[in-house]
Order: sequence, then C-alpha cells, then structure tokens
Amino acid sequence: MVSLEKISRLAMECRFDSLGRGGSEDASGLMPGSESAHYASGKMEIGSCGPKSSAAGGTRAWVDGKKLAVLGEGTRHDVCASTFSPRSSPLPGICHAFTQDGRCVSLFKTLYTNLCSHQCSYCSNSAGCMSKRQAFSYTPEELARITLSLYRGNYIEGLFLSSGVGRDEGKITEKMIDTIRRLRQKHSFSGYIHLKILPGSSRSHIQEAMMLADRVSINLEAASASHLSEICSTKSYESDIIQRQRYIQRLMTELRSEEGQAVLPAGQTTQMVVGAGGESDEEIFQRMIFEYDEINVKRTYYSAFSPQQGTLLEDRPAEALWRERRLYQMDWLYRVYRFRPSEIRYAFDESGFLPNSDPKMAIAREFLDLPLDPNRASYQQLLRVPGIGPKSARRIMARRKRQPILSRRELAILGVRIRKASPFLKINGWTEATLERWQA
Amino acid sequence: MRAGRNFLFYLRFHRDCSERLLARAGQVEPADLETSIEREHIRMRKMADEVMGEVHRMKAFVRLTPLGPFVLHGFLKPRHRIGEHICEHFARRNAGIIVVLGNGRESWICLYREGRIWRERGNGLDESLKQLKTALQSDIGRQNEIGRDDLDVDSLWQTYYDSQNSPERDNPAAFHRHMPRKDQEAAGLRLVNKQKNASLKDFLGRD
Repeated sequence: MVSLEKISRLAMECRFDSLGRGGSEDASGLMPGSESAHYASGKMEIGSCGPKSSAAGGTRAWVDGKKLAVLGEGTRHDVCASTFSPRSSPLPGICHAFTQDGRCVSLFKTLYTNLCSHQCSYCSNSAGCMSKRQAFSYTPEELARITLSLYRGNYIEGLFLSSGVGRDEGKITEKMIDTIRRLRQKHSFSGYIHLKILPGSSRSHIQEAMMLADRVSINLEAASASHLSEICSTKSYESDIIQRQRYIQRLMTELRSEEGQAVLPAGQTTQMVVGAGGESDEEIFQRMIFEYDEINVKRTYYSAFSPQQGTLLEDRPAEALWRERRLYQMDWLYRVYRFRPSEIRYAFDESGFLPNSDPKMAIAREFLDLPLDPNRASYQQLLRVPGIGPKSARRIMARRKRQPILSRRELAILGVRIRKASPFLKINGWTEATLERWQA
Repeated sequence: MRAGRNFLFYLRFHRDCSERLLARAGQVEPADLETSIEREHIRMRKMADEVMGEVHRMKAFVRLTPLGPFVLHGFLKPRHRIGEHICEHFARRNAGIIVVLGNGRESWICLYREGRIWRERGNGLDESLKQLKTALQSDIGRQNEIGRDDLDVDSLWQTYYDSQNSPERDNPAAFHRHMPRKDQEAAGLRLVNKQKNASLKDFLGRD
C-alpha cells in the first residue's frame, strides 16, 4: 500500500496514457460549425481525460443526439457482438449491457453514414427507402471521440463500424479507415475494432483496414447470387462480395504487423438475412459450409428478416425468430461439435427447412440406435448425445479415468442435461428408453 | 461459467471463504475438483463460480466517470471481496490514470504505471475522492466538477442504447436473466430498463 499523495504525484508525472493522448490537438473539427456535423437538436457534450488533454485546458465536443440515434439504429440488425481478440490479453466476451431482447451490447455499433446508393429491398438505409428522412454522417474525429468517451467510461469494449456506401464506396471506406487510424495511432486506442468492408471496396483499402482492425466482415446477405438478385439489384454476389472475402483470406496469410505478428487477430466473419431472399435452410447450410471451409470465416451470423417501414419488402411478414435460432444450432453442430454435413442433413425436412425443434435431437434419433455407456463411449460419440456438450463430454472423459460413472446424479453434476440425455444413455446397466426419446 | 483451473484464485475472494477452507481447497488438484462429486468439492466449486460470475459482471457493469484529467471513479458494492481486483482491472485498462472504486463504506484506489500497480484502500468513495482532490490540488478543480462528464457520456450512452432496441424481438425474461437486478445495483448502474416504458410483462419477467 502507498499513500494517496504518492499515487497522485505518480499520476501527475505520468507522460504516457492509453487514452486521449494528443487528443486535444485537433478538436476544432468537432466544434459547432465544423464541416459535416449536424447540430439541429439534442446536443450532448463529451469531454476527455488524460494528462495531455488537460494541458491544453481539456476538450469539449458536441454530438447531435438525433444523429447518434439514427446511425446507431442503422446497425441494430447486425448481430455480431463478439469482442474476443487474441491481440491483447483476451477476456471472455464482456457484455456491458443487454438490450430488451436479451442481446449483448459490447460494442459501439454504428454507421459512418446512412447515405447509400445500393437498392436493397429489405434495408431501411437503402436508396429506395421511402421513410428515410435525413442523411447523417460523422466526421472521423467526432466518431473517434465518442468511441473514446464510451470506452473510457466502460460502456463498451470497442467500435463496430459499418456504413452505407454513400455515393462512392471508396470515399466512405477512406473515412472509415481514417476513423480507426485516428483511434489506433493518434489516441492509442487499445480496444476492439470490427470494421465492415463495403461491397466493392478496393484491395488496398481492405489491406489498410486489416492492419488496424481486430476483425473485418462483409455481409453475404443471401445464400446465393440468384437469391441476392431477388433482394438487391445493385450488388454483384461474386465480384462485390465473394471476391472481397477472398482478398481478406489471402491478405491474412500475406500480411504481418510491424511486430511481425499476423494481422486481423479475430479474423473475418459474415452475415445473412434469413427469409428475405426466399432461400431454404439447406441452401443456407450449403453456403455456410462454403464460408467455413473455403473462405475460412470465423463465424457466420444469421439475422431473421423483419420488414422495415418504407422499404420494398415492407408488407412481407417477418421471419419467425425460431428459424434464426435453429440455424445457429445447426451452425454450432458443424463448427463446434464437428458433425459431418451428411449427419446434419437429417435435420432438414423434405423441402429443405429445419423444423422448430432441436436439430441435434433429430440427428440423434437417426444415428443413435443403441444407448451409449458413458463409461465407454468416445468423445465424439458423447458429443452426439442431446444434452451433452463439449465441456460436459470432456468432464465425463476425465471423471471416468478415476472412477466409473454410476448414476444420473453424477452426470448432472458434470453438467449433463440429464432429461434430454438419459433416453440415449445406458447408466450402470440401465436404459431409460422412454417416450421422450421419440418426442420432439 | 466455471472457474476451472483458476478456482483457488476466485475462491479466496468469496465472502464466506475461511483460511481453513482455502487450505483444504489447496490440497485438491484443480482438474480433480472440476469433475469431483464430493459434497465439499461441489461447494468449493460453487463458491468459486459465484465469485467468477460477479467479477465478470462487475468488469462489465461498473461505469467510470472522470474527475479531472487524472482520475476515473465509479460505484462498486460487491457481495464478495473483489473490490481491489476489479479496481486493478480498470487501472490496467486506463494506464496512467488513477482509478477509484467504492461505496459509502469502503473504497479501492489503483494506478497502473510503467508496468507496475500502485494500490491504496480508503474508507468510502466520497472520502477518497476528497483526499485525492486535495492531493492533486488545483488540477482537478480548475476544469471539472464531480459528475459533470457523467451526465454527458451517460446520456450519450442512453441515446445509443435506445437505438439498439428491436421491439419486434422483445424478450424481457432474457434481459433480466443477463442483467440481474442485484448486479446492476452492485455496480451502481442506473437501470437500463426504462421504467417509463415498463409494462406488466416486465414485472412478471423480473427475478
């Protein structure tokens, strides 16, 4: 323990700072009257903290509340909230808040601008959306400052920056890269950055973004070129999207940071809108396999279509949220449980859709003919039992090395969801082949 | 979420953890404890998991407010003895800035500088902030009053948070499961569930 006086002196002497370093030098761009900020109503003030900013008497910046709300709302259907990055000491995904629907809010997820020349029939930011009232844009410094303020206050782990393409995706991409460059280089921001690559972005822009961000992503939106053409007439599936994903994939093997480390520690991801293009779950599944095996994406995200006011698909009914949930379960079976595609296919019905029931249960009914003895089954066999996941399977393997497992209670303590699992297990010579095994 | 190999680290922070329990826990291999079905081992595991859960949620939910250029402070009233650990976490995240966490009765002060942590304990958040204000002399008083930035960033956050809400996906039960009221209170969080929009459904979904 040291005295408060000593701690105070050390802080005042401190000449380095993870946040706000040099932040006071260029605050003029944020003040009222600067190039592109909007100050119509609901102004809010943000300040800065850190030795250097204080030397210049502190900085104050005004943020238009309406702009913040509109550009934030433009990203609420982007569902990736992961903040896990091996770049710095990794923390298990910290969620600083949850929305009313139970989704994690860990990043400041925003559009750079909601101005967009693409005509996507499901999107409220598209050029054809009738209800779009006003176009807003941030400036790079303004966006960097908001991110820093929220990060410093422990509201977020980092920035998730997406955007409409404006009139020229190249110019908007430059602004987005400028934002994250300011964060990383000028403000020494060590938080997480996820940058959306705009369809059609150049290879050099992608390369620049990859040197600065933890993760980049480009949204597929649909499972195939024909389905994309149903919902967006202005994007080319192959050249605007898949080609850019391949750029990212190649650059990940070619690029190295200044310290000689691999760039983009959290890899690339993608997202599909489920139900807008009329594709079946099996088609989504095929695309998912392609993305994991050929493009090496870390994750594929699924967002159930919901009609947005003023869009061409305004009158189409919303996609059931359970469909999104079942697709995630299927994704999990492939990515984490390492189920073979030939096994997962049994979860689909004749028309290629997943029913509203656990796909793992459907696969287990098809493949697990005889009950398994948890004391003899392999890890892969245990994983195929509903109610047993990777962690509980590992615990079973570790436990039985020392002592055989003789009761349901022991399995429950090891983390097995016993009600789901027991119809498929033979515990201490007993099988509970109840109706549960055959019911949905 | 299970503490796993770090269970001793978390167990020692538990409010009911005695020296004797810690000594007994030290004799068990973490890997064995993970799969043990003995009653005492299950209890130890549960205690470590409780602490780990609270550590995780406090790192997420505590909000920090600047007090001048050198200090960030926030409310923290944890159920377990994790105050110093959480304070260290925020000090490392904000190198060169003094982090003060606490409540009416106790407080923790940490500074991370040049790879080293400096720690101090206090008798309450307000008292520690007053002492720091005196120690830092005019550097705080000249430009910031306590709480001023808090209002600004907090309303910035509230505007952004509201923009992320999707009414078509409303699921208050999931919200309350992920943000238990007791943890929101321990971190001094203003309830993000806006009371003015609350319906009967919200109250039924509450813990």
